[in-house]
Amino acid sequence: MSLPQFTLLRPRTLQEAVGALGKHASNIRVLAGGTDLIPSMRQKLFEPKYVLDIRQLAELKGVYHHPGGGVSIGALSTLTSVEHSEFLRKHYPVLSEAAATVASPVLRNMGTIGGNICLDTRCLWYNQSLTWRKGCGFCIKKDGDLCHVAPGGTKCWAAFSGDTPAALLCLNAEIELASESGVRRMPLRDFYTGLGDTYRTLQPAELLTRVFLPESLADYRGAYRKLRVRGSIDYPLAGVAVVMKRSNGQVADVQIALTAVNPAPVLVKGIQQLLHGKAVDDQLADAAAVLAAKTAKPLTTSALTPEYRREMIRVFTKRVLLEISGQWPVVSGR
Amino acid sequence: MTNDDFSIIGKPIAMVDAAGKTTGAGKYTDDLTMSGMLVGRILHSPFPHARIKHIDTRRAEKVEGVVAVITGKDAPTPYGILPVGHDEHALAVDKVRYVGDNVACVAAIDEATADQALELIDVEYEVLPAYFDPEEAMKAETNLIHENKLNNIEKDYHHVFGDPEKGFAEADCVAEARYIANEVTHAAMEPHSTLAAFEIDSQTGKPGRLTVWSSTQVPYYLQHKLALVLEMPMAQIRVIKPLVGGGFGGKSEVIPLEIIAAIASRAARAPVKITYTREEVFWAHRGRPRTIIDLKTGVTKDGRITAVKARVVQDGGAYCSYGVVTILYSGALLGALYDIPHIQYDGYRVLTNKPACGAMRGHGTVNVRFAFETQMDELAAKLNLDPAEIRQRNLLQAPCVTINGLRVQSYGLPECIEKTVERSGWKQRKGKLPRGRGLGIACSHYVSGAANSIIRSDMPHSTVNIKIDRDGGVVVYTGASEIGQGSDTMTAQVAAETLGCSLGRIKIVAADTDLTPIDIGSYSSRVTFMAGNATLRAAEQIKKQIAVAAARKMNCPVEELIFRNDVVSRKDASVARAPSPADLAENQPTVSGHVDGQILRGSLQQKRKDEGPKTSMSFEEAVVAAIDFHGALTGTGSYAPPPAARGGKHKGAGVGPSPAYSYSAQVAEVTVDEDTGEVTVHKVWAAHDCGRALNPVSVEGQIIGSVWMGMGQALTEEMVWKDGMLMNPGLLEYRSPSSVESPEVEPIIVESIDPEGPFGAKECSEGSLAATIPAISNAIYDAVGIRLHEAPFTPERVLSALRAKTAHKKIDLTEGVDPTAPIHFREHGGALWFRGKGPERHALDPARRETRAETGGDD
Ligand SMILES: Cc1cc2nc3c(=O)[nH]c(=O)nc-3n(C[C@H](O)[C@H](O)[C@H](O)COP(=O)(O)OP(=O)(O)OC[C@H]3O[C@@H](n4cnc5c(N)ncnc54)[C@H](O)[C@@H]3O)c2cc1C
Ligand code: SF4
Repeated sequence: MSLPQFTLLRPRTLQEAVGALGKHASNIRVLAGGTDLIPSMRQKLFEPKYVLDIRQLAELKGVYHHPGGGVSIGALSTLTSVEHSEFLRKHYPVLSEAAATVASPVLRNMGTIGGNICLDTRCLWYNQSLTWRKGCGFCIKKDGDLCHVAPGGTKCWAAFSGDTPAALLCLNAEIELASESGVRRMPLRDFYTGLGDTYRTLQPAELLTRVFLPESLADYRGAYRKLRVRGSIDYPLAGVAVVMKRSNGQVADVQIALTAVNPAPVLVKGIQQLLHGKAVDDQLADAAAVLAAKTAKPLTTSALTPEYRREMIRVFTKRVLLEISGQWPVVSGR
Repeated sequence: MTNDDFSIIGKPIAMVDAAGKTTGAGKYTDDLTMSGMLVGRILHSPFPHARIKHIDTRRAEKVEGVVAVITGKDAPTPYGILPVGHDEHALAVDKVRYVGDNVACVAAIDEATADQALELIDVEYEVLPAYFDPEEAMKAETNLIHENKLNNIEKDYHHVFGDPEKGFAEADCVAEARYIANEVTHAAMEPHSTLAAFEIDSQTGKPGRLTVWSSTQVPYYLQHKLALVLEMPMAQIRVIKPLVGGGFGGKSEVIPLEIIAAIASRAARAPVKITYTREEVFWAHRGRPRTIIDLKTGVTKDGRITAVKARVVQDGGAYCSYGVVTILYSGALLGALYDIPHIQYDGYRVLTNKPACGAMRGHGTVNVRFAFETQMDELAAKLNLDPAEIRQRNLLQAPCVTINGLRVQSYGLPECIEKTVERSGWKQRKGKLPRGRGLGIACSHYVSGAANSIIRSDMPHSTVNIKIDRDGGVVVYTGASEIGQGSDTMTAQVAAETLGCSLGRIKIVAADTDLTPIDIGSYSSRVTFMAGNATLRAAEQIKKQIAVAAARKMNCPVEELIFRNDVVSRKDASVARAPSPADLAENQPTVSGHVDGQILRGSLQQKRKDEGPKTSMSFEEAVVAAIDFHGALTGTGSYAPPPAARGGKHKGAGVGPSPAYSYSAQVAEVTVDEDTGEVTVHKVWAAHDCGRALNPVSVEGQIIGSVWMGMGQALTEEMVWKDGMLMNPGLLEYRSPSSVESPEVEPIIVESIDPEGPFGAKECSEGSLAATIPAISNAIYDAVGIRLHEAPFTPERVLSALRAKTAHKKIDLTEGVDPTAPIHFREHGGALWFRGKGPERHALDPARRETRAETGGDD
């Protein structure tokens, strides 16, 4: 499968980069690690006239701690560097855990955290070659007018399938977007629309430059669990991230986020109210797990049935909650 | 003879082509390039079943850089791998029969240009109703996939051996159930690739001889089919097989691109290379069909099998391919593993509008073996017998001929079972592991090559030529196709051992139809047995010539000579000692297989100088003496299976017989996570009777590979279909296990020393696969008490079976198909019969009517 024709732009400064974005906003794609963009371009999912290779922007790489002001992570930091950062492992374990589950070691060496956040939503009827999509008659997300997954509907339900955003949502991460007209900062949760096709609020002329983690959530306990068929390579079929702070054995603060079961990564609403001030036990973990499963709305966009994926959100949520409350292992075959 | 009697056989030896592969110096087809070479790209059908009304290629031809556009008209002769199955066209002539069928090809200066031109080919289709479920397809009376195949049945066989009714009457316990195995494919690392080039006659300017380089397991069949379709004499076609990155059966027949490249090259008058994308590899397919097995087994109280009845339906896809052979293997290889007195077999190979299925590692046996070995376990449980023991009670008394006419001479199954049981701690550990952890056992077997070739004739199945030069360099010419399995290394070993020379002297010239004699290819695990025997015979012939000359020089009878370690010596001579470690070190094979002639010549002169009583000669001296005496030193050997091994007389009796069978027994240890249904395989003990292990590391590699591939089919691999659309045509969504899931495999080599195999060897690369799937399913039962009748055992299926046993709130995890009692194939993924902007399908299509009703038919 050949790549479509395009002009490659290789800016050396952030200014050049946003300049190019401004100029060609209607017909340009950002290339970071390229692990998602290049396969998609071969499948003719994107045929931009310009490709902006931002890999020379050294200022967008690296993890920096600003004592008292949290952490900033450059959008171009590779997932390997996030996974292996001693600092993040120690203080934001949920993030390094999530990063470590992405794809495979080789892809993590190339793939960036910015790319993981901006990652396109996925669906078996969409992530296919042009020839294949002709055979199915296309769909709303690209070139068509109906949805094979939710027939009769007019909405696309492609699933957001990045791993780290679930962890980042739990950590109340904020992101920084740069364009010719300046820089704006927003909570990550506002970045996603919840739609399968126009899944993010990134403007065509904007570049994601940094991710910020608040100091206040440092040292929270945290864990990420991912449903996949193989232990490597596979995208998540369901993912649960949990962070928690306890005092005197009781939950002082907690967040749960899900990925790969909705068109956006989502925080589970009402979890704080349910768990706050209580010690997590089997029953409470069950209740929280049911709440999480209700938030999950998987459809037949991927392998394994939606019913199963949703059930795993429940099982994983319960397990992770018990695990980070120090009650693991409880029920397990392995 | 024990392995100590050999210098090279039975020793762990590095593959002779390993250096080329590991350094990247070796060339695969896609690495090849020629001046003026064009790139070919193929236009595929978007419809599962349609008549082609019109193709207009004019717009595509006008694209700058396009040299030729070809369609079915350019090569209308049908072909197929089996003489009874000539139902394929390289490019569709009248109809397309699956999504991905081949419609046209563009040859252009580069891939992007060709891709662009493909979009400009206008094809007008008349859409026909399509069939996706084999049991539905069998009911069809109109719009047949092939007009001459009534009810879309490619072939059905009905075999009765003994008296099954009587057998079941004698049984104390009968089990009967339906098993379903979903479709899997080879997923060889190297995608298919073909480069075709005609020599253009400088006077007439017309295309003359054709040379084709292709990633194939069967160069000779390719030459044969090219001759048929291109209407050229075989002698005008040369097929060369470069390095091949795995085949597993997927390259064991002629694949459309191989013929398309040649036709395109003829039209373009330039070399054309086509390399499939991974998606096209999935469409070319020829993998293991999804199969329905209705199996009934009767046993006595003490576990003796009294009768077996099997009805097998294979969803064969749109073309015959090897299908007739597959459905026959499924029945024939019910025999030759255990002693079964009465067998009834009804096999249906059915056509559907999906890519064609064909031969895949363990051809025809794997899915039936899954059903059979699972049912054996169920019967053992019912009778309260140890699963290992019930198998031991049904052993054959070899040598024997089975009820369905298969001759078994060497039979290492008893030892395979014994060894796996012992090494896995079966007796001590079975039933005593913690909850969620279990052990399962299963057995399997496979042919060492088919005793009857697909072209019914008495021609040898393998022929090998050898020539030896004055400096003692040995060149072996063999048609056997090295596809990564080690056939070149095997050939070198057999030749070197027989000639008593070091491995470094041997150079292999293989799989080039101009240079090498006919060998029918690398499939059905035939190469070691057949090409190995041919090599042995060729080497013996040439050795005899050397011996005559050497005996004259040494003044002794020929029978007195021993050839070993590069020395020809008299039996009684003190020099004919066992080699010292230093000798052995000197004779270590060089990995390249080349011999530096200069150095040898130097040492030869040295040796000539020393005159003395001749009780021994160096190999070179003996060779020189032989060439001086006879003239050229060449030998030839061939192999055809003996008549006694060729099976019975009933219809379809040709498939199943083999000169020898390999045997395997395996124990798998698994855990099952009862909350998630995830199965983890921790360890597999795999014993395999390969006759004699000519190269133990290579045998171990094949066993480990078979187990791993079997585990893929058991747990994760499955081609998912939706209305003829393959939902996972790539290695991301078609999930072969990664290194993370790979369990420890302990290979156990069992050597039964077959009386007819070369040095006693039999097959070792397919037989182990089939045991892995039931070993895992039986281990799952041991761990958590569920019986899965549908493979693969994905977490949703396992969990669904687990939940059915507990009082858990009912959730339908598997789209209404109970994996412990499946009735039909489940369709996955989206639920829509599409009605979008894309191509419309036929209004009468059954699938379409149903979905319309469900969704309210709002189009
Ligand atoms: C086989 C395979 C398996 C995979 N498995 C997983 C998995 O398990 N989990 C997972 O999360 N992902 C997976 N991925 C997807 C991908 O590798 C990762 O998500 C990776 O983090 C993407 O980063 P990248 O830098 O390569 O992105 P790119 O491919 O460069 O970009 C991805 C998208 O984001 C946009 N983009 C990237 N950076 C920016 C920026 N700074 N500003 C604005 N837009 C930007 C691009 O334009 C593009 O649309 C897999 C990919 C493959 C090929
Ligand atoms: S959810 Fe529907 S519209 Fe979206 S990509 Fe899948 S099939 Fe297309």
